[in-house]
Amino acid sequence: MADTTLTAPRSRNRGLNLRFWLPLFWVVLLILAAVFAPWVAPRDPLAQDLFLERLPPFFMKGTEPGYWLGTDSLGRDVLSRMIYGARIALIVSFTAATLTCIFGSVLGLVAGYFGGWWDTVISRLVDIWMSFPPVLFAVLLVAVMGTGLWSVIAAIVLIDWTRFARVIRAETLVQARMDYVDSARIGGARRISTLVSEILPNVLPSIIALLTLEMGIAVIVEAILSFVNLSISSDDPTWGSMIAEGRGAIYFAWWVLLFPLIALFLTVLSFSQLGEGMKQRFDPVLQ
Amino acid sequence: MTDRPTLDILQLTVTLRGGRKLLRDVSLKVQPGEVRALVGESGAGKSMIGKAVLGILPPNIKPTEGEILLDTHHLNAMTPVTRRRTVSKIASLIPQDPLTALNPVRKIGPQIVDPLIHIHGWSRDKARERARELLDRVQIRNTDRVLQSYPHELSGGMRQRVLIASAFAPSPRLIVADEPTTALDVTVQKQILRLIRELQQETGTAVLFVTHDMGVVAKISQRVSVLFAGRVMEDAATEDVFRNPQHPYTEALIAATPSYSDLNRSFSPVPPALIADLHAKIAAEEAAS
Repeated sequence: MADTTLTAPRSRNRGLNLRFWLPLFWVVLLILAAVFAPWVAPRDPLAQDLFLERLPPFFMKGTEPGYWLGTDSLGRDVLSRMIYGARIALIVSFTAATLTCIFGSVLGLVAGYFGGWWDTVISRLVDIWMSFPPVLFAVLLVAVMGTGLWSVIAAIVLIDWTRFARVIRAETLVQARMDYVDSARIGGARRISTLVSEILPNVLPSIIALLTLEMGIAVIVEAILSFVNLSISSDDPTWGSMIAEGRGAIYFAWWVLLFPLIALFLTVLSFSQLGEGMKQRFDPVLQ
Repeated sequence: MTDRPTLDILQLTVTLRGGRKLLRDVSLKVQPGEVRALVGESGAGKSMIGKAVLGILPPNIKPTEGEILLDTHHLNAMTPVTRRRTVSKIASLIPQDPLTALNPVRKIGPQIVDPLIHIHGWSRDKARERARELLDRVQIRNTDRVLQSYPHELSGGMRQRVLIASAFAPSPRLIVADEPTTALDVTVQKQILRLIRELQQETGTAVLFVTHDMGVVAKISQRVSVLFAGRVMEDAATEDVFRNPQHPYTEALIAATPSYSDLNRSFSPVPPALIADLHAKIAAEEAAS
């Protein structure tokens, strides 16, 4: 009798959530810069000018107008290279993270829900896979497959699917034990459709959080591979290759290294925060 | 024929992978309109019987011998797909834990209405109408608001009412109630129990009521099966069981039930010696067979 009222308020108004909006702002900015790179980049990212090498950024002495963040040791514009670098960083992170997510989550869902033989095979595979040192693994893979955009993406998918498989398997195990899954099965649902229509929506917030985290990780892996010169061809500017080039000149031209590093840092941080923020926004249970 | 049981379980044996028998030669009948209680301590296999009937045993547990007859259908002889279709049209479940029995990311409305449409082939309007009617019947006010809510917005008692409404909605021949009051606090337990009994009497649905509480058995059932270690110890009319228990274990269970109306009445746990004795007897029988 007494318990016929609703217990939870529908949803709290949290006001402006900086933890969500700031990262979103940075990512949108990055996407715009990447898409419109030819129009927003002040210079040709590949144009060398040895008379203008190692120009400092605009707030220091001895700069040339138009080179906002200075130039590198070959006189190429740092800002333009960063903007074009954002293209590669985003293409790699979106494609690689999405593919990793699909591949790993499917295996995790199958292992967690069907259990038995499926679970044994997938879980052991994950265990074995995870005992390879990931960076070394990626370097090896790219060395074997040859450099190029798709090699980098394949390397990321192949080293990181285990993260999804593990977490999603564990989440699926928890959900599969819930009574609502039994109810769905009594209701005549086939096992596969129970998995897709009952369990997947409950695991989705975790998948989204992991996906955005993975985007950040993909950016890092791409930078690591660029750093050891195993990413895209060296003609294409990437943040990792900029950092690698800037390393040699760090004492007299720190800006060559620092600006791409900041961009990398902000991007990775934004992706992970965005994941957490989206999880909170879209999970009806957490609201 | 009116005396054909709704559910007839014949010498059912259920085996865990590796060969351990969780149920052994369990036979019981539930007549139309009858409430059959299944009572026993935890691990006795009482929930297992309900799960075996509904076909939701965990993948490593299988029915190995015996038969389950639901209406006229031999369930154990069916392919998984036909079995599910058959069972879903005839039987439904009131689950133990209302907190996990509703999908947290779906609204209440579709969770009641969808099975009516997809399994029973009703029209959406008819299904909605029925959902409202049943929610009304289980004394939920704001029916429309509840249908629009997510499970976490409702209290445990409310959710159990929703689940009861959902179980009765398709007018099933059999309802398996798997300890439906265990996860609720005592005051809510009483209301829920009364609701189930009222709805059962109005609709004449046969109910297999799993519980560990002899007090609940006395309130709701006409017949009882007492289970111990996967075996039926005693099968009798509820009145007879309380007046004149045939098995020492049943007697001990009754003695172990606290009385809320008479707090001075003493109650004692089932004596460990009796349990050890029963286990020894079972082991001896198994060695002999």
